[in-house]
Amino acid sequence: MNNIVVQILLIALAPILGGLIYGLERKVKARMQRRIGPPLLQPFYDFLKFADKRKMIVHSTHAFLGLLHFVSLWFAVAVLIMGGDFILIIFLHLLSTAVIILAGFSTRSIFSHLGANRSAISVLAYEPVLIIIAISAYMLTGSFDVSALYASEIPVLFKMPLAFIALLLILPVKLKKSPFDVSEAHQEVVGGVELEYSGIFYEAVYTAKWLDYIFVYLLVFMFGGANIWLGLVLVALTFIYINALDNSTARVNYKQMLRFCLWVALPIAFVNLLLTMFGVL
Amino acid sequence: MAPIIVSLFILPVVVSLLLLFLPKAAAKVLTILATLTLSGISLYLYYSRGDQPIQFAVPAIVDKIVLIADFALLAYVIAQGFLQRNILVWGLAALQAGILAYLAMNMPHGEYMQFYVDNLSLFMFILINVVSGVIAIYSLKYIDEEQCSPFRKKYFLSTIFWFIAAMNLLSAADNLEYFYLFFELTTIASYLFIRFRLDKESKQNALTALWMNQIGGLAILGAIAYTIFTPGYGVPTFSHLLTQAPTVGVILPFAFLAIAGLVKGAQYPFSKWLIGAMVAPTPVSALLHSSTMVKIAPFIILKISPAIQGTPVATVIICLTAFVFIAAAIGALAQDTFKKILAHSTIALLALMILMSAVGTPVAVTAALMLIFFHGVSKCMLFLNAGIMEHVFHMKQTSSMTKLAEVGPYTSLIVAVGFMSLLLPPFGAFIGKWFSIETLGTIGGAVITPGYKLISALILVMIVCGGAVLSLLYFKVLGSMISRTGERDKVKFEKLHPIYRGTMNFLLVTVLLCTIALPWLIPGYFAPVAATIIKSGVPVAFEGFALTIDNVKLPLIPMIAAFVLLPLGIIAAMFVRFKNVDRAKEYACGEKVEYNFASFYFTTEKATPYFVYAGILFFVGILLVGYLM
Amino acid sequence: MKLNKYRKKSPWILHYNAGGCNGCDIEILACLGPKYDIERFGMINSGNPKQADVMLITGPVTKRSRERLVDIYSQMPEPKVVVACGSCTCTGGVFRGMYNCEGGVDQYIPVDVYVPGCGCRPEQIIAGVVEALKKLENKTKEIEKSVRLEVAPVESDNQINRREIAAPINNGGKPSVFG
Repeated sequence: MNNIVVQILLIALAPILGGLIYGLERKVKARMQRRIGPPLLQPFYDFLKFADKRKMIVHSTHAFLGLLHFVSLWFAVAVLIMGGDFILIIFLHLLSTAVIILAGFSTRSIFSHLGANRSAISVLAYEPVLIIIAISAYMLTGSFDVSALYASEIPVLFKMPLAFIALLLILPVKLKKSPFDVSEAHQEVVGGVELEYSGIFYEAVYTAKWLDYIFVYLLVFMFGGANIWLGLVLVALTFIYINALDNSTARVNYKQMLRFCLWVALPIAFVNLLLTMFGVL
Repeated sequence: MAPIIVSLFILPVVVSLLLLFLPKAAAKVLTILATLTLSGISLYLYYSRGDQPIQFAVPAIVDKIVLIADFALLAYVIAQGFLQRNILVWGLAALQAGILAYLAMNMPHGEYMQFYVDNLSLFMFILINVVSGVIAIYSLKYIDEEQCSPFRKKYFLSTIFWFIAAMNLLSAADNLEYFYLFFELTTIASYLFIRFRLDKESKQNALTALWMNQIGGLAILGAIAYTIFTPGYGVPTFSHLLTQAPTVGVILPFAFLAIAGLVKGAQYPFSKWLIGAMVAPTPVSALLHSSTMVKIAPFIILKISPAIQGTPVATVIICLTAFVFIAAAIGALAQDTFKKILAHSTIALLALMILMSAVGTPVAVTAALMLIFFHGVSKCMLFLNAGIMEHVFHMKQTSSMTKLAEVGPYTSLIVAVGFMSLLLPPFGAFIGKWFSIETLGTIGGAVITPGYKLISALILVMIVCGGAVLSLLYFKVLGSMISRTGERDKVKFEKLHPIYRGTMNFLLVTVLLCTIALPWLIPGYFAPVAATIIKSGVPVAFEGFALTIDNVKLPLIPMIAAFVLLPLGIIAAMFVRFKNVDRAKEYACGEKVEYNFASFYFTTEKATPYFVYAGILFFVGILLVGYLM
Repeated sequence: MKLNKYRKKSPWILHYNAGGCNGCDIEILACLGPKYDIERFGMINSGNPKQADVMLITGPVTKRSRERLVDIYSQMPEPKVVVACGSCTCTGGVFRGMYNCEGGVDQYIPVDVYVPGCGCRPEQIIAGVVEALKKLENKTKEIEKSVRLEVAPVESDNQINRREIAAPINNGGKPSVFG
C-alpha cells in the first residue's frame, strides 16, 4: 500500500470494486442456498437501469443529502486507503452516516424515520468498538496512522487477535447484514433511510453501499499487516463468514443488537486493548 | 496595560448601573455599544499581549472593601435563606461567614499582587465578553416579550452586565480572597437570574442553585485556610500556590479548589442546579451554559493543572469526569425538553473539558481550550435558538417540534449546524474530542504502573462510549425537527426580528469562520494560551499538509474536505433545487393519513439516582486523596 | 447510450396484495425461493414502489385497497409494467360481482400482462414476468408524461376495461397509449 499510483487507482476504482464484491456476494449467497443466483455484474446492470428511470424525488434537500452521503463516504474510503489517522477515518465515516441519517429524517416518511432512528442506534453499537480497536492499534504501532498498520512487519492479526474477533462481531451491524440488519430490514421498514430514493438519486445511496464494503474489507485487510496475501485470505474468510451468517440467522431487534455489541463485542475489544497496553502479545 | 484591563472591570459595572435608569431606546444603544467596546478591548488585549503576564496590585483600601462586600453578600444569602426557610442556604452561608471571619483575622499581610492576567485570562476575556455581549444584545428583544414590569426588564439587562463584570474579575483575580468574592458574585447573579420569573418553581430552583454553589464557596474558603495554615505556602494567591506546590507537596488546597470548580461545572452530584436553571428566561441559560458560569470549572482546573498533574487528585478528577461524561449523556437520552437536553449535553462536554484540563499535557490542554471556545459559541447559538423557538414558534418539547422545518427552516438549519458542530469533523469541538481520545491513548501507552494503565483504559472506554451516546442523542433530537413534506421543496427562510436574525447570523458565521481558520487559530490562539498554562512551550509545527501539535497530527486536507462536505454541504442542501425532476409523495403503504413522528424513547431515569451517589463518592474521594497525599 | 436493454436484466419487483386469499402470494414467494430462483434474472423483491420496475398484483382489488393500489402505482417511476397474477386479479374471479369489489385490477390501473390461474403457478408467473420484461424494454419516454383519465361511470357489468372508455384530456382526444 505504499505505491501512490496503486492508492490512487484503488480510490478511483473503489465503487467498481465494491460493486464487484456485492455481485460476488449475491452469487455466493445464492450458491449457499443452492440457487444459481444473479450474474456477477448484476449490481452494474441495476446501476445502469436506474440511470434510465424517471426522476422522482420527495424534495431537493433529501435528494441532495443522498449525493452528499456518497461523496463523503468515498472520501472516508480515500483517507483509509491513503493510510490517514484511524480515529479521523472513523469519524469521517460517522460524518457520512450522519448525512444519510439526516436525509432519512428530512422527509415525512414513517419508514425513513424508523430507519434513521435505527441507523443512529447502530452507530452507538459499532462506533465504540471501532475506536477501541483504533487505540489498540496505536498501542501496537505507536502511531494513529493506518499506514503504520499496513506497514507492520508482523501481521496485526497475531498481535491483536481479540480485536479481529470484535471487528468480526460488529461487521454485520456495519454492513447491515442479518442478524443485525435492523436499520435496513426490508420486511419491516422497507430499507429504512434509502426508501425514499428512486431512479438516479437512488444510485448514490446504492453505490454508497458498495463503498461500505470496501471500507469494511479494508479494515479487515489491515489485519494482515505488510503481508498482502494474509490480508487477502482474511478478507476472503471474512467474506464467507459474513455471507454464511447472513444466510443462517434471523434478525434480532435493535435492543438485542445493542446489548450484544456493548456487552460482548466491546468487552472483547477492551480486553484486547488491555493486552496490547501491557504488551502481553 | 493595567488600566485597559481595569476598564474591563469598571465598564460593565457602569453599564450595568446605567441600564437600570436609562429609557428603552437608549438602553438598546448602550448595550450594543458596550458589547462592541468590551469585545474590542478583549480582542485588543489578546492581540497586544506580552511575553510576561501582567500583574498589578490595587490600593489597600480595596482589601477592606472586598472583605465588607464578602460579608454583605453572605448576609444577603443568609437573609434569603431565612426568608425562604431553607436551612441549607443559610446554614452554609453562616458557616462560610464564620470561617471567613476567622480567616480574616489570621490573614497574613504581605506585598503581593491581587490581579494576575496571563494568556488564559485573556482567552477567557474574549470568550466572556464576545459571547455574553451577543447574549446581551439578544436579550434586548427577548426580554421585551417577557411578561413582567418595565423595571424588571431593565434589571434583567443590568444583571447580565453585572455577570460579565464578575466573570472578568474572576478570570483576572490572583488573590484567593478576591477570587472568593467574585465566585460568590456569580453565584448571587445566577440566583437572581434563576428566580427572575418569581414563580414557585423558579424560586425553588434558585435556592437549589444557591446552596449548591455555596459548597463551592466553602471549598474555596477551605483552600484559603489550608494555604494559610500549611507552612510554606504563605499568602493565598494562585501564583504563590502554583510556584510553591512542588516544594511543599501538600495538594489539599488544590483539591478544595478543584471541588469549587466541579461544583460550578455542575458535575454529578451537583448537576441539579444547572438543569433547574432552565426555568429562567432563555438568555440566562445561554449565559450560564456557554461562556460564563460553568466555564469557571475548566478555568479553575486549567489554572491549577500544573500543580495537580500526575497526582492522585488529578486521577480522581479524571475518573469522576469520565464517569460524568457518559452518565450525563445517558441522562440526556430520557429528556424531552429541548433546553434540558442541551443542559445535559453541556454537563457531559464540561466533563470532557475538565478531564482534559486535569490531564494537563500540552495537547490535552490545547484540546480543553478548543472545547471551551467552540462549545461556548455553539452552545450559545443553540440556546439562543431555543429561545427563538420558544417565543416565536412556541415550541419547548422536542416531541412537539416536528413541524419546525416547515415553519422555521432557518431555525432548524441553525439547530442542525449547532448539533453537528458539537459532534462531527471538521468542527473545533470535534477536534477537541479527537485530540482527547488520542492523548488519552498516548498516555495509556506511556504510563508504567499497571493500575494507571487499567484506569486509563477504562477512561478511554467511557469517553468513547459517552461520545457515541452523545451522537445518538444529537441524532435523536435533530431527527424530530428537520422533517418536511415534499410540498415545501422551495425553502423560504422565515422572517425573524432583526436582533434575533443578527445574533444568530453572527454566531453561525463565527462558528464557520473559526472552523475554517483552525490551522491559524491553533498556533496563534490556542497554543500560546496552553503554553502559559503548562509553563512550557507547546510545539506546533506545519509539516507538509499537516499541523503537528506535540505528538498529534492534524491533517489539513481531510479537514478542508470535511468542511466542504458538512457545514457547507448541509447549508447548500437547503438551497439546492433540482429542476425537471418530478416530485412524489412519501411512501406510506398507500395510506393517505398524516403521521405523527416520534423518536425512540429511552427510559434512563432509573439510573440517574445512582449517578448522583457515584458522584458523591468521587467528591469524597477527591478530598480523601488530597488529604492523604 | 441506450440503456433499454438493462431494464430486463434487473427488474425489481413490487408485490401488492389487493385483498386476495394469499394463494397467489405464496406462489410468488415460491418463485423467490431456491427452487424457482428468479433472482437469477436479477429480480429482487424490493417491496418499495420507488425502486421497483415490475408490479405483481394479486387479489380482486377490494374497495378498501384500490386507493392504496393507485397510490402505490403512481409512486413507481416509469418505465414500469404491471403483472396481474391470478384469476381474481385478471377478472375478479370468484369474487366478481360481490359488493366489495369490481371486476379485476385493470379497472383502476393499466395492466400489461395477465397471468391466469387460481392460484397461478410459479412457472406461469415467471413466464408472465418474462413477457412483461419484453414490454418493459420497449417502453419509451413518452409514458413519463402524465395523463389524466376522464371520470366515466360504469354503466353495466360487461364494461370490463375502463381504459377503453377513458379519453386523455391533453392528447387531442385520441385514445391514450399506456405502453
